[in-house]
Amino acid sequence: MILLVLPVSTSIFMVHFFSAESIQRIPIGIIHYDYSKLSERLEYSLSANPVLDLKLHCSDFSECERGIRRGEIQAFIVIPYQFEKRVLRYETPVVPIYSNGQYYLTNMFALKEIRSVFSTIGSNLFTRHIKEPIKTEIHSVGNSTGNYQGYLGLGLVTSIFHMSSILIAVYVFSFPLRDRKTKEYIDAAGGSRMILWFASVVPLILISWFLMLAVYTYTHRFLAPLTLSEFIMVAAGQFAMVLACTGAGISFVGITGNMRMATSVAGVIGGPAFAFAGQTFPIIAMPFFVRCFAFLLPLTHLLKIQSQMILGDVGLIPSWDSLVILLGMGLFWHLLGGRLIFMRWKKWNHD
Amino acid sequence: MIKRLLKVTFSEWKLFFTDPAAVLLLVIAGFIYAFYYPTPYLKQVVTEAPVGIVDLDKTAMSRQLIQMSRAAQQIDVKYVFDDIHQAKLSMADGNIYGYMIIPNNMERDIRTGQKVTLNVFTHGAYVMLHGNIGTAFATSGLTLGAETKIKRIALDKQVPAKSAMAMRDPFPIQIQTLYNRTGSYSNYVVPSVLVLILQQSLIIGICTLGGARAHRKFRKKKQESAAENESLPYRYFGRSLAYFLHYACFIAFYHFVVYNVFDFPRRGEPLPMIVFAVVFLSASINLGMVLSQVFLRRETGMQIFLFLSIPILFLSNFSWPRYLIPDWMAALSAILPSSYAVPAWISIEQMGAGIQDASVFLVKMGVQSVIYLGLGLLLSFLRDKSKLKTGDM
Repeated sequence: MILLVLPVSTSIFMVHFFSAESIQRIPIGIIHYDYSKLSERLEYSLSANPVLDLKLHCSDFSECERGIRRGEIQAFIVIPYQFEKRVLRYETPVVPIYSNGQYYLTNMFALKEIRSVFSTIGSNLFTRHIKEPIKTEIHSVGNSTGNYQGYLGLGLVTSIFHMSSILIAVYVFSFPLRDRKTKEYIDAAGGSRMILWFASVVPLILISWFLMLAVYTYTHRFLAPLTLSEFIMVAAGQFAMVLACTGAGISFVGITGNMRMATSVAGVIGGPAFAFAGQTFPIIAMPFFVRCFAFLLPLTHLLKIQSQMILGDVGLIPSWDSLVILLGMGLFWHLLGGRLIFMRWKKWNHD
Repeated sequence: MIKRLLKVTFSEWKLFFTDPAAVLLLVIAGFIYAFYYPTPYLKQVVTEAPVGIVDLDKTAMSRQLIQMSRAAQQIDVKYVFDDIHQAKLSMADGNIYGYMIIPNNMERDIRTGQKVTLNVFTHGAYVMLHGNIGTAFATSGLTLGAETKIKRIALDKQVPAKSAMAMRDPFPIQIQTLYNRTGSYSNYVVPSVLVLILQQSLIIGICTLGGARAHRKFRKKKQESAAENESLPYRYFGRSLAYFLHYACFIAFYHFVVYNVFDFPRRGEPLPMIVFAVVFLSASINLGMVLSQVFLRRETGMQIFLFLSIPILFLSNFSWPRYLIPDWMAALSAILPSSYAVPAWISIEQMGAGIQDASVFLVKMGVQSVIYLGLGLLLSFLRDKSKLKTGDM
């Protein structure tokens, strides 16, 4: 369940959660204080925009505001009195737009589209033949369509495997302690703690790594394909992250000595790791001590490698540092975890 | 009757502070997470994202554009490159998160009436910076272009500059953000996460303590005590009351302390807050009571719910609208209290909604409570009758 079913099913679940790929049909409202051709034209354009869904026609401000509080609409537009007449008199009437900043993402998309509708109609009203002299085109490198299934999906899948690698190691290494079977396990390994160590660690790492690689490949089909060398670099990074996380999980068992406490520690560190890893809120904007903590998370470095790979023709050199850090973490945690768990095994074997 | 009930309640509450696993989940987690999770977002907004500009024009106008970009609050122009490859490498190294290309002959083309395109490239993996960087560069480009366009309109239409300005932008828009006015990322994420912390720690905590189960094996010395083996209704409602009172204190703590510490808007009125606390905690406690009868080991709930925390958070639709997720996921989300508790909390606490405005969510949580209560009582009854020897509960 913990090794196979939960990591794979939650990862696939998260990938399909974003199957709409980008935000569409954001419900908005409108208050008309001017029924003119121009206001109708604006309303028609807002209705025709695929990102917006003109859902609510309010009679007054409080009705639309209530709509926002009830979650029925994201934003509303107030077409002012004598709107068209004032526009034709060059009085530049201001159109207020009220939006709900609490829902950050939908708000960002809604305002962008509303701005675009107003500026298109506004610039074509008197000066259709005089185009804007400077046009700005914004491209997202590696994610040209702004696909959230690829963008967030990849990060979340990685984050789920980051946590699962720690939890699985905690489970596997604390199971004999919990069920008082340490002696039985060591006997099965011919009395060698080293053999027991390898017999526990190697399948654990390989299974987690292969599963992660498979789910990553499945998720990555929503983005531009990787070259072979890029794929190898990502795979190496994932291996190193699994190595570091399993080592950390073993260390938590070695430190706490029981499954419940080790799982709690794993949860405290692995649970919110995605928030610290810098994909949603950039690390540069975090306070210094949080940046230090983010640096200690293997997830941060793997996400860095994965995001560098989606940039395309920049080579593998920028990713080497992250890979070396991950391997270093793997070595450190396994040495620490090995030392501590050997001590536990020795104690429990005698008990 | 009340005395018997309160005896069970007190005995369970005492356990929250004496059982090491319970202390961690039901006492420490609620405090630690509330301060630990918001720390990445202490600065609340992203300003001065490092960017570069590739200046292929090298004219007075291109330098003016660079100056305008430097003035933007969202970005920090760290480098001005001579060629595109340098900018690409710098982005791959993580030194910058985006760059703008000022094309060759920009000034000449603008002055000769041609249209110029400024291409802005942002790192595809960082959607938040994409928006900030794009907006900053687009505003700089638009400002530079506006001057030229106004001159063109004035010449073409033979109108004064003021009219030309009105013709260029005949109805300017003014955006008023009603809630989360500063665009704070922590204000957007953390309130939803706080509700999730309450739900998850409550459910996992109840599972760790075995819910309304009698003869809990882990209570080695006290498993045969009177309070431990009261009749089912007393055990169920007495222990539920302990969880309810304990978590009601957490809600008050979040409202009065955590919201103040992190400077979140606190608009919740007492009555809607109380109604929210009653229905949300009832639904979560009863769900915990149901699940606790399914697991045989104390840590199983923790292992499963740690995996499910990310899907559960997203199913509360705080970031991705419910109507965009597949139907079966929307249906699945109906079993979780957080799916309604998060929007209800945001409406009440962040937006100051009354009971009527939040009723659509509160009623659904009320229905969940009733269903889980029936199921919880039934499963506890069946568990009391069963003679399972495995596990530690």
